[in-house]
Amino acid sequence: MINYIIRRLLLMLPTLAGITVLVFSVMALAPGGIGANLMTSGGDMRPEERKAMVEYLNRRYGLDQPMTTQYLRWLNNIMPIGFATGPDGARGEFGFKTPDLGSSFVKNRPVLDLVAEALPITLLLNALTVPLVFVGSILMGVYTARFRGGALDVSIGTVNLALWSVPTIWMGVVLIGFLASEEYLKWFPTSGLSSLRSDSWNFLPTFGTPSEPGYQRGYLLDMLWHLVLPVICLTYSGFAFLTKLTRAAVLENLLSDYARTARAKGASERAVLWRHVFRNSLLPLITVTASILPGLLVGSVIVESIFSIDGMGRLAVEAVQMRDREVVLSITLITGMLTLFSYLLVDICYALADPRVSYE
Amino acid sequence: MSEMPTPAVSAHGEHETFSARVLRQTAARWGARIGFAWIGLVALAAVFAPFLANSHPLALKTPDGWSSPLLENLTWMDVSLLAAFIAVFVVWLLRRRLNGARRLAVLAVAVLASAVPAYLLVNPPQAVVFEKYRQGLVSGAVEQAVFVPVPYSPTDRSRDKPLSLSPPDSEHLMGTDEDGADVLSRMIHACRIALGIGFVATGIALVIGILFGGIMGFFTGWVEILMMRFLEIFESIPQLFLLLTVVAFFGRNIYLIMAVIGLTSWPGYARYLRAEFLKLRQQDFVQAAQACGLPIWSVLFRHMLPNGVAPLLVAASFGIASAILAEATLSFLGLGVVDAPSWGGMLNQAVGPGGTFAVWLATYPGLAIFLTVFAYNLIGEALRDAIDPHLQRAPG
Amino acid sequence: MGSRFGVKDLLLYLFLLIILVSIWLTMVQIDRQWSFIRLTQEKLDEQTRDIADLRRQLQRGVLVADSDRPAETTGGLPPTWEGFRRAHQASLAPDYAEGDWLINYFGSNLQRLTPMLSADAYASWVQEQVLDTLITRDPETLDWLPLLAESWAISEDGLTVRFTVRQGVTFSDGEPLTAADIAFTYRFIMDERIASPRARAYYSRIKSVTVEGNDVVFRYEEPYFGSFELAGTMQVLAEHFYGPYLESVERAEQFNSATGLLLGSGPYKLQDPVGWTPDQPVELVRNDRYWGWVQPPFDRMVWKVIQNDAATLTEFKNGDVDVYSARPLDYRELLKDEALLARTNHFEYYNARGGYSYIGWNQQRDGEPTRFADPRVRQALTYLTDRQRLVEEVFLGYAKPANGPFNPLGKQINPDIETRTFNLARAQSLLAEAGYEDRDGDGIIESADGEPFRFKLLYPAGSDDYKRVVLLIKDFYVKAGIIMEPEPTDWPLVLKALDEKAFDAISLGWTSGFEIDLYQFFHSSQMQPGGDNFLSYGNPELDSLIETARAEMDEAKRMEIWRRCHEILWADQPYTFLIWRASLNFIDERIQNVQRTRSGVNRPGLWQAPGEWYVPAARQKYDG
Repeated sequence: MINYIIRRLLLMLPTLAGITVLVFSVMALAPGGIGANLMTSGGDMRPEERKAMVEYLNRRYGLDQPMTTQYLRWLNNIMPIGFATGPDGARGEFGFKTPDLGSSFVKNRPVLDLVAEALPITLLLNALTVPLVFVGSILMGVYTARFRGGALDVSIGTVNLALWSVPTIWMGVVLIGFLASEEYLKWFPTSGLSSLRSDSWNFLPTFGTPSEPGYQRGYLLDMLWHLVLPVICLTYSGFAFLTKLTRAAVLENLLSDYARTARAKGASERAVLWRHVFRNSLLPLITVTASILPGLLVGSVIVESIFSIDGMGRLAVEAVQMRDREVVLSITLITGMLTLFSYLLVDICYALADPRVSYE
Repeated sequence: MSEMPTPAVSAHGEHETFSARVLRQTAARWGARIGFAWIGLVALAAVFAPFLANSHPLALKTPDGWSSPLLENLTWMDVSLLAAFIAVFVVWLLRRRLNGARRLAVLAVAVLASAVPAYLLVNPPQAVVFEKYRQGLVSGAVEQAVFVPVPYSPTDRSRDKPLSLSPPDSEHLMGTDEDGADVLSRMIHACRIALGIGFVATGIALVIGILFGGIMGFFTGWVEILMMRFLEIFESIPQLFLLLTVVAFFGRNIYLIMAVIGLTSWPGYARYLRAEFLKLRQQDFVQAAQACGLPIWSVLFRHMLPNGVAPLLVAASFGIASAILAEATLSFLGLGVVDAPSWGGMLNQAVGPGGTFAVWLATYPGLAIFLTVFAYNLIGEALRDAIDPHLQRAPG
Repeated sequence: MGSRFGVKDLLLYLFLLIILVSIWLTMVQIDRQWSFIRLTQEKLDEQTRDIADLRRQLQRGVLVADSDRPAETTGGLPPTWEGFRRAHQASLAPDYAEGDWLINYFGSNLQRLTPMLSADAYASWVQEQVLDTLITRDPETLDWLPLLAESWAISEDGLTVRFTVRQGVTFSDGEPLTAADIAFTYRFIMDERIASPRARAYYSRIKSVTVEGNDVVFRYEEPYFGSFELAGTMQVLAEHFYGPYLESVERAEQFNSATGLLLGSGPYKLQDPVGWTPDQPVELVRNDRYWGWVQPPFDRMVWKVIQNDAATLTEFKNGDVDVYSARPLDYRELLKDEALLARTNHFEYYNARGGYSYIGWNQQRDGEPTRFADPRVRQALTYLTDRQRLVEEVFLGYAKPANGPFNPLGKQINPDIETRTFNLARAQSLLAEAGYEDRDGDGIIESADGEPFRFKLLYPAGSDDYKRVVLLIKDFYVKAGIIMEPEPTDWPLVLKALDEKAFDAISLGWTSGFEIDLYQFFHSSQMQPGGDNFLSYGNPELDSLIETARAEMDEAKRMEIWRRCHEILWADQPYTFLIWRASLNFIDERIQNVQRTRSGVNRPGLWQAPGEWYVPAARQKYDG
């Protein structure tokens, strides 16, 4: 097993390299290249200013060097062993060093800081979405398998499929337009993750303190209230696929020999379902988790942009549009690493969960 | 535990092939029927769009006599699509006489034979002033004009009577968008892009996926390891991200977008095919084919592929749906092609920045995207159920 | 049964997880409370220090009644305090009160507040409340008024400007502001290690800045009409605060990557001048040590970040935002909302610093003159561009057709020049003169060699208004047989196209000002790569007029020259000038003294002064 893990980890490296080369090439081959085009404001361009800016950035980031050199420099920066860089870009000695993801051109801040700010928000959204989707799908999958062919089965299946077909962009627009607007119902806020002064509120709701009489929502509830609509947008489409998968797995197990044996021994259908079949049916779900995890990080781009939430998806989109090379490469790297790690994790879990599977 | 599917005997008393049976069972399901019906409707709208919504009248009577501005202004794409439609119709009429491969060949030839000359020869006038017909009717320069059901072209922005973002009324059945163009007309013409993206992008993905998957499923050793890494690379890049990158760096180009969607979707198909081929590799007929000395490509693609293609069809159906969604998302984010009508682009105009909510722009394009995607998903589901051996048993 | 992982175990783990998460969240909340307490503590400390200071001063018997400030406060402003006249007038109103917050918004995330580093318009809104300049302008008369400088003198040859710096000014942390700080600011900007290439280029015209007693003297290489404004509007940085960043390269790098290093002498300050990060909203509090004649009226100025336009309007309607800037369509819709009109005041006005949009015709491409090199073609295209219709259809009347680069509110504009209106016949005859007619009856006009008149118009992608304008113009040109193909282009590619002059025509905009310099846009020397004359336009007469105007220090004579330039531009049409846009604002009606001026609405920060808006005590919404 350890050998397997090590082998997989080593195989990850060329894949990661390949991903970064691909993205770097896309940026490099583009008209305009990766260069100094960092005017964030449009109108007020003065010739000396722009020229000065271009020269300055070329010197600082080495943007006028050939593509392969730039790529190798970046590669050198992110590795834990390599050439240390002096203050002016000069090459230092070879040895251990801290990996450096670089600085964003546009925002002039370390990429690590930007990611550290955006990642918790995306993780929060996903931490709420994923359990909801899984629990919902498992329950629906089990019940539709149990009552297969019935009205419940068909209707749940159709509804899930229909929900899956609803584009997120439409759902977001409709939700805001009808549930968060002036004209219709104003049940929810339209954007952001918390109200203006909410960080000076108490954490838990209060019902009348000397300084603030009356009901006060509290920071926690306020954040949850802001999260309702985005989480709805993220979860509604996830049920279809997982439900189908669970249903198929449960069905297969319900018709298997050991289930038949259990019934023959006198166990109730319910016991057969929950105590025997259920655990075995979860295995395919584990496989599927692998393909879901990487999409979670950048997959909420649309929701984040409709609801003005500053997560990783937004960071990625802005970086791409602004041609912020370092951020784009870093996000690619992080996403790629997480994808491959999650595949590995899933394979390990699979081996642990199913004793029949072995990697030797 | 699974049983071997019982060989089916078709209504004609012959053995049905696997694919024929799958298609028959799929078509029998009501979900697929609804799906096919909607797709058929969209396809008809796409083919006959210039005859359904056009500012150019079908027939025009001026003091100089009769003419048909509509026919004069057809583009090469219109002509090719019409020719392709006729070809499909003819092939369907002759379906008994031709088998699968011949049908495809006839279609391909017909399409090429019409598309290439059309591209070279069809030359509609470029300087079009749409309002001249309406103004002509008022001023008397035009005596009579016969219009098609929706008398507005998708790029007719109503310059004679500014009508930006007006709600549906008797003249504009679905209202107008923010530039003053008729929404119904744009919806009809947008069917082309929607279907086109779906088919082309998925087609590209299928071709690449089949090639890769087939080779990976058959060979082992370093070839497989190398290709596996390649596959992982493409799998790990989030599709929207790559799309945005390409659009941001290379500009908006519908063909580029189709290519990128295709290039990010192929890993799924490759994996499916590889799994199938790994199973089929051990089978007798494959070994027999190899023993006969048939070349590899023949073994892979003429013998193994038809047997392994079933899950691919299912995935392809879902793939078309997601390609359409990807294009709609891009247009919604404002990165689609500018002038051409697109459902996602129209949805983008629904919510104005000041909170003006143009309900008609949110409803109709959104519904169109939803129904199309839903239709493909239904077809995919039905295909999957038809292929699933568990469901081949006698009912009960 | 062994150790099977059952549902009970799952529930147990889940419960454990929830407890752990709750503990962590509680810790975060406690942290937040602690930092709040800390801030309060700091404020208390500051005030204790101030009281101690005052007590000490009293003990020493310092003259409390400044002879400069007469006891009566009715209108008797000494001449050196003229910069505060308008604020002073506002403070005399019977319901004038200090307090309340002003809540504003940004449409996108603000990356940095540190001065000099950012090119952000948003950052400058914040910085202009925190940093002071030597002089300020009266928004109505446009005269220059003393602010940090008590008086000034410009030498005859225009090469030396001397400011006498006011005494007794302090920064918001109590340190005195002297002429040395101004000289320091210049040194700071020009230091190569600081990442401010734009500012450096802007101020490179200054030869030297020296301190002579209480005076600071700016010296220039050559006379330039904008020299005075350049020196006087430089935002003053504190030497004691920013100076340490010049000590070494590492410290300079620290400055370059700092997000929130902002300290000044202005009416407002950041509660924490070093620690702002982009994930927080921007909050400025009143500078308790403000040196001005009038104290800043608001307790706080807050900017929320709301990226979604619909959300912005919702927040405004809820009263969570006090000022809302609307687009024409929304403005018209909102004017129908009775409830909204009851709680707000609305303003449509033209801003003297507002900008204009234009279509630029590229006259030379790949070394060859293009069809736009012929002025008759350009004039014809201008006749075809129906500006009036643009104003009515796209901007719903909230714009004005433009006929030149000079702002109609300023003094440079030549009032005798007319805007060309739509004239199809005239355009066609001009095109025929230039050799374009429809030779093959296909509806498109061709040149003598049979080349059809077809071109691509580049415009920045992402703006709906640009798109609508371009699509409308396309349909105008089609009437004369000209095919224009719209090309929305992302900003980096726009810049690339401009640099390489690889485009047919481009639609962009420039911001304007009270007096702009035509040199960078229309002088033939600016055709080289990097210049802003990317259309390869050159007119020797215009060139010499521009050069003369720039060196002319007498304003009246200079304006004459600018007006002559305007005539030439009208004849030559290197741009087809499109429109000036009006600003459309809704302002919460509890805010008083909102006035229209020649420069626009008198919002705080319009010119460096504490601001003329206030909220009467009875109507204040926020406290503290």
